[in-house]
Amino acid sequence: MTVRIGRRYGFSATHRLFNPALGEAENRAIFGKCANPFGHGHNYEIELTVRSGVDPVTGMAVPLSKLDTLVEDAILADFRHRNLNEEVPAFREVVPTTENLAIEVLRRLHVAWPGTFPAAVILEKVRIWETERNICELSNES
Amino acid sequence: MIISKQVEFSASHICRSPLLSDAENERIYGAAANPMSHGHNYLVDVAIEGAPDPVTGMILDLKELKEILEDRVLRVYDHRLLNREVDSFETVVPTVENIAIDIWNRLAGEIPLPARLQSVKVHETRELFAEYRGEA
Repeated sequence: MTVRIGRRYGFSATHRLFNPALGEAENRAIFGKCANPFGHGHNYEIELTVRSGVDPVTGMAVPLSKLDTLVEDAILADFRHRNLNEEVPAFREVVPTTENLAIEVLRRLHVAWPGTFPAAVILEKVRIWETERNICELSNES
Repeated sequence: MIISKQVEFSASHICRSPLLSDAENERIYGAAANPMSHGHNYLVDVAIEGAPDPVTGMILDLKELKEILEDRVLRVYDHRLLNREVDSFETVVPTVENIAIDIWNRLAGEIPLPARLQSVKVHETRELFAEYRGEA
């Protein structure tokens, strides 16, 4: 039987929403206070949804310890307590909005996934909470 | 269109399979394999699919859904040790996956037509849920 498992992880980081291709006033108009030069932080949460059959012996769809290790190594270790703009190479040129963060998280998972899980364990989507009110969802299948 | 109702129950469980050795159980389930059991406050999202009735504007009568959930799920699950007190888990490990499947099986035939059960999503903690949509 196919089920979907959701697993949520937290990390705290700094970002600044500012595109050097745009002027100071334009950045301020688009990003508002998120363009403040010194950056600011959030407690981010990442939720992965994984689709798989249930192992008849263990009753589990995904070994959570494997998933936790993969997320820790591929994502959290690089993002936790970092300045995303300054310390994560993907955001040197790309504004670390929640949208671009979701794209980067999915890209990293694409790289790490095949070495960890068989093809029948499918990453279905990534959701990222920047705050309780700002959520970005990225489907892996569209 | 989908309408979703959330209910809560509190229960204890033991994640341990008699088909596996003690060492394997502890490796696979970690602290959840403790034979003395441990508990959670579970949240269950029950999603019902259908079209709003042109007269009532509702997909189904929510009072009726509440009674079905009370009778078929909460009465069975709330304040129980799932391994011992819910017959579905006599031989099946009550992981969050199997809980979602079992609740689906209890509800699927009970939803008044033309509405139908679309999804059962069981949150075991804030960090972990399992969702079952009746797929093989």
